[in-house]
Amino acid sequence: MEHTIIEAKNIIKYFHDPISIQVLKSINFSLNQGTFASIIGKSGCGKSTLLYILSTMDTDYEGEVLIDGVSMRGKKESELARVRNEKIGFVFQFHYLLNEFSVLKNVMLPAEKLGKFSQKEMEHKAYEKLKILGIENEAYKKPNQLSGGQKQRVAIARSLINDPIIIMGDEPTGNLDKKNGEIVFNIFKELAEVYNQTLLIVTHDNEFAAKTHRIIEMVDGSIVGS
Amino acid sequence: MNFKLLYEISVSLLLARWKQTLVAAIGVTFSITMFVALLGFMTGLNDLLDGLILNRTPHIRLYNEIKPNAQQPVEIAFAETNSHHFINSVKPSNKGLQIQGAGAIMQALKADGRVLGVAPKIISQGFYQVGTTDLTGVINGIDVVEENRLFKFSDYVVDGNFLDLQNTPNSIILGKGAAETMLVQVGDVVQVTSTKGVKIQLKVVGFFRSGLQDIDKVQSYTSLKTAQKLMGEGNNYITDIQIKLKDILWAPDMAKEYRKLLNIEAVDIQTANSQFETGSKVRTIISFTVGITLLIVAGFGIYNILNMMIYEKMDSIAILKATGFSGSDVKSIFISIAVSIGLFGGSLGLLAGFGLSALIDQIPFETASLPTIKTYPINYDIKFYIIGGVFSIITTYFAGYFPARKASKIDPVIIIRGK
Repeated sequence: MEHTIIEAKNIIKYFHDPISIQVLKSINFSLNQGTFASIIGKSGCGKSTLLYILSTMDTDYEGEVLIDGVSMRGKKESELARVRNEKIGFVFQFHYLLNEFSVLKNVMLPAEKLGKFSQKEMEHKAYEKLKILGIENEAYKKPNQLSGGQKQRVAIARSLINDPIIIMGDEPTGNLDKKNGEIVFNIFKELAEVYNQTLLIVTHDNEFAAKTHRIIEMVDGSIVGS
Repeated sequence: MNFKLLYEISVSLLLARWKQTLVAAIGVTFSITMFVALLGFMTGLNDLLDGLILNRTPHIRLYNEIKPNAQQPVEIAFAETNSHHFINSVKPSNKGLQIQGAGAIMQALKADGRVLGVAPKIISQGFYQVGTTDLTGVINGIDVVEENRLFKFSDYVVDGNFLDLQNTPNSIILGKGAAETMLVQVGDVVQVTSTKGVKIQLKVVGFFRSGLQDIDKVQSYTSLKTAQKLMGEGNNYITDIQIKLKDILWAPDMAKEYRKLLNIEAVDIQTANSQFETGSKVRTIISFTVGITLLIVAGFGIYNILNMMIYEKMDSIAILKATGFSGSDVKSIFISIAVSIGLFGGSLGLLAGFGLSALIDQIPFETASLPTIKTYPINYDIKFYIIGGVFSIITTYFAGYFPARKASKIDPVIIIRGK
């Protein structure tokens, strides 16, 4: 039996502004280790909303999220921050790198927050991650000196730094051209197949989704096929 | 735990907007500079003005007052009987101003551990004779050396040497105002007549200037011996005993104690000069108010700049939170930005404040009434520097606290999804 990384139980979510709308209707699903899954669906079907609930950043929902078998219900803000830091890696549509720091430092920031390793080890790990993504030569540049594709790869390296049990992506290729999008996809695939990394990626790119191990399709706040 | 990391992030955010940060720091510097310089200057002036009176006023003054006996003889004589008496037109008794047993009293006072020093004094009325007119005056007989040790007599002697008063027999130091009226120079001789009718020729050995014109016009000083001669009294005649204490605050209680013990009038400095304390207090309050207002204004500057920084760095805050920084981490980052502006600006301000004080200290300030003062007075009390430093940190902390709290509450989902 494979290890379950993340599990959603009966998740219901309302938006109250401007009027109450139910965006998620009783979502149930689970994800095993090493699976490269994608969530697809039309705009406004609730796929991003679901992702942010699973990521612990959104806490205003009904139901239960279990990450690594532990319920996220009733945890304090600082405890959730710790979970995100340790167990979840994020890649967003926009790279969100801090221009004040070098690429290497950007990658290291979550590790420094975790504080498990010495400065030397963290630097080494960050450099290794950049190597996996093929941008180790840019380590000492500032993010604003890189191209869009390179920035997104730095963001992926950052998401990997604490060896998270799952990587979540919200349209990680949405801002990239076809070639760079391909590169990013191949990196994800390699992470899943070579490093047994679990990934959950929200996308509206059906071509991208088709190549993943598992497709979760959503329509109007419900999962219709996975 | 993560203090170093949070500090590193704060520093990088600070440097990213270093121009605004610098402006904020300069605001703090300016206000601390003004705070320190203003208080130093104000209290310097206060000390000077208080010193005009307080330095020369004994902490406790013992004297006899001319007044009717509290117990009239008839009351004592018929105390046992159950009679009632009526006395009309009671007059002050002829006890005189002399303090009885002054020598013994002074010896006892000098033995008291709380007393810094004791100086005897004879206060007598008299006339200075110039041509055909008589000018009224007050002639103080003093123990020159003790008077100088306790009440800085020499500070106010502008011409001549104050010690000549002791060394030259039959000498007098005239008030500058009186001397000008009489057109006398140092070395001249003036004739003084006491209320007892004694006439003496006195050699002028100096002038003094107290800073208070009314005093300079009437007062003059002679040695104790000369004053005793003028009063036609023996060498144990003393009308006042001036006491200087080790702590001025003990004066009211000790005055009460002496009044009871010695059965004599005793007045403490606080009672005699209450208006000076009030004036100093008001001036100090005004300076503190202005200084603290300046600091608060600087605090608003920091508040604005941090607010702006938070709007600009919304994305960075969101990603920090998404990757595991908690709200309190973000709060610490922005508070430490504010406090480092305060620390940097504040310490520069303390230095600049000291510099400005030193500069004011060099500006010539010569006034006829204050012979010992050549430049503007400054008080370099370390207290003001400590208050300024502490306040700069407190105000910047609060200026940072509210924006920081706002930053800590930023919802990363809203920022990230908004893109």
